[in-house]
Amino acid sequence: MALTAETLDQLQGEPGWLRERRQNALAAYETLQLPSKTDEEWRRTDVSRFNAAEYSKLEHLDGLKLERPSGLPAGVILKPLREAAKDHPDLVEPRLFSLVHADRDRFAALHAAFFTGGTFLYVPDGVEFDQPVLGQHFSHAGGNSVLPHTLIVAGRGARFNYLDEYIAEDDTEAGYRSGSTEIFVGEGSQVGYVAVQKWGRNVWHFADQRAELQKDSNLRLFNVTLGGKFSKTRVEASLAGEGSNAELKAIYFASGEQFFDFHTLQDHRVGNTRSDLLFKGALQDVARTVYAGLIKIEKHAARSDAYQANRNLVLSDKAKATSIPMLEIDNNDVRCTHGATVGPVDPEHLFYLRSRGIPETTAKRMLIQGFFGDVLDRIPFEHARKLVEAELEARIG
Amino acid sequence: MADFEIKDLRASVEGRQILKGVSLAISMGEVHAVMGPNGSGKSTLSHTLMGHPGYTVDGGSVLFKGQNVLELEPDERARLGMFLAFQYPVVVPGISMANFLRTALNSKRGYDGKDKSKQVTPKEFRSMMKSELEVLHMDDSFLPRYINDGFSGGEKKRAEILQMAMLKPEIAILDETDSGLDIDSIKFVAEAVNRMRGPELGILIITHYTRVLEFIKPDYVHVLVDGKFVLSGGPEVAERLENTGYAEWGHAEEEPKEVA
Repeated sequence: MALTAETLDQLQGEPGWLRERRQNALAAYETLQLPSKTDEEWRRTDVSRFNAAEYSKLEHLDGLKLERPSGLPAGVILKPLREAAKDHPDLVEPRLFSLVHADRDRFAALHAAFFTGGTFLYVPDGVEFDQPVLGQHFSHAGGNSVLPHTLIVAGRGARFNYLDEYIAEDDTEAGYRSGSTEIFVGEGSQVGYVAVQKWGRNVWHFADQRAELQKDSNLRLFNVTLGGKFSKTRVEASLAGEGSNAELKAIYFASGEQFFDFHTLQDHRVGNTRSDLLFKGALQDVARTVYAGLIKIEKHAARSDAYQANRNLVLSDKAKATSIPMLEIDNNDVRCTHGATVGPVDPEHLFYLRSRGIPETTAKRMLIQGFFGDVLDRIPFEHARKLVEAELEARIG
Repeated sequence: MADFEIKDLRASVEGRQILKGVSLAISMGEVHAVMGPNGSGKSTLSHTLMGHPGYTVDGGSVLFKGQNVLELEPDERARLGMFLAFQYPVVVPGISMANFLRTALNSKRGYDGKDKSKQVTPKEFRSMMKSELEVLHMDDSFLPRYINDGFSGGEKKRAEILQMAMLKPEIAILDETDSGLDIDSIKFVAEAVNRMRGPELGILIITHYTRVLEFIKPDYVHVLVDGKFVLSGGPEVAERLENTGYAEWGHAEEEPKEVA
């Protein structure tokens, strides 16, 4: 059995437009080729052993626990995405998969055809609230597909925080997972978004996180990747309005045989826009990571300011991090800085700590935590910061 | 037998022999100064004693509390009671001074996260710190900062001595703690070190210049040239160097008086 049109029959009760969209995505999936090693984006990322047919059971459309902040202001819509597609087609239909395109590649198509759980959050113009919205996506068993999709719409001047947490009940589960997010950052709005991926160690994970920022808006996006034997995440910000500001940060910790791939895009489409990206990761054992990031300054994007850095702490001789920063600039009146580092724990730092009596394992743990320290400080809200610190501490050991 | 005994220590860096047989015996309560021109092996001596991985021991022994410390890891040496005040303290981003100091104290006490009775309490930590800060003319605003991050040269050196005061070693090696310091900072550092002097501490001051020895009076002075001691004696050796420099050992250009 494979993921086919019959699989779609598991998804009952959806409006016609959504059903049609799924069928189109499925058609795209069937037409698109598996990426090959000659494709630059996939040159170091081997998907040849991924067989979606092994995971044709779609796990529960209810695998979502949404925690509503108490006293959520009137007009805010927060519900499972499939339900929202029925209840609010005016809000959902024009936006769903308009940032993350279903026909981008075979995996995006597969996700768009079969996405199951997921959240829709709509915050109307001028509405602000402090307590974060928490979306928890669970997988209860291996051998299946869990494909949640998050759609967030921030009205003008809205301000709020949202956390997506991808949780496996069994760390050894095998399966197919995704966790894609589209964020519409309205004019003058301020959105904090955190995604924490901690699926089991034997799953295939594909995610597309893409945001579009309108005039004077501010996005703080923070990605945490910990799970999966294979995890590919694209993080993209499209700066579409003047004065918009995107902060894209991430941490990853890869161990055992894990392979993580990150592709990022800071697309400055108009002038006076700012983006600030920092991806920091630690690798141990025989883990491998690939980071490739593009700063794109389009022709009319004068006076833009873009920063991009990828830092890797390599904790074993057999772990390998590859970092590829890229620039594409079509306007001269801009400021762009980028850089990448790949290296072990600094032996002088280790010696200094040990010379004060701190045992080697403790000193190394402190240095790893210290490495992540500055980026952890950028997690946009307290609840997520505590969660991530605890997750990291458990993994650093 | 002395409490801390360096015997015929030979060490090399990247295959080049630097220390060519150094012997030195320090008893508790004594202050020894090792002086020498640039390239004589002063840094190699301090780093080898503390176990820096970039230095290779080619022979000799260092006996302390019945153990050859050359066979111990750097952190084991520190827990045994040795301390090195670095000539160039490194900046370690991401770890606060407070966290660093607390962890070092806990490690020294053998606290491994289990036996809470060994753990240094916040109150104890604050009171230990308070009087030392005053002597060193420091305030506690550096505690939340990352290790040595944004510290001036003088602040870094003072922070080293603060660590020494907190960790209470029995053998302290001060590696060119005076270099690059203005006269006030040297006085603060010397005052703090002099407060610690006593029958429970042996001190090895490594320096190029005689100036610091005006403030921390040594009991013994050893002159290190080309990896060997060429002269050992009492404080009068420093006076002789003050007048004649290292010229008699072929280092005429090296002035042991710091030109400010």
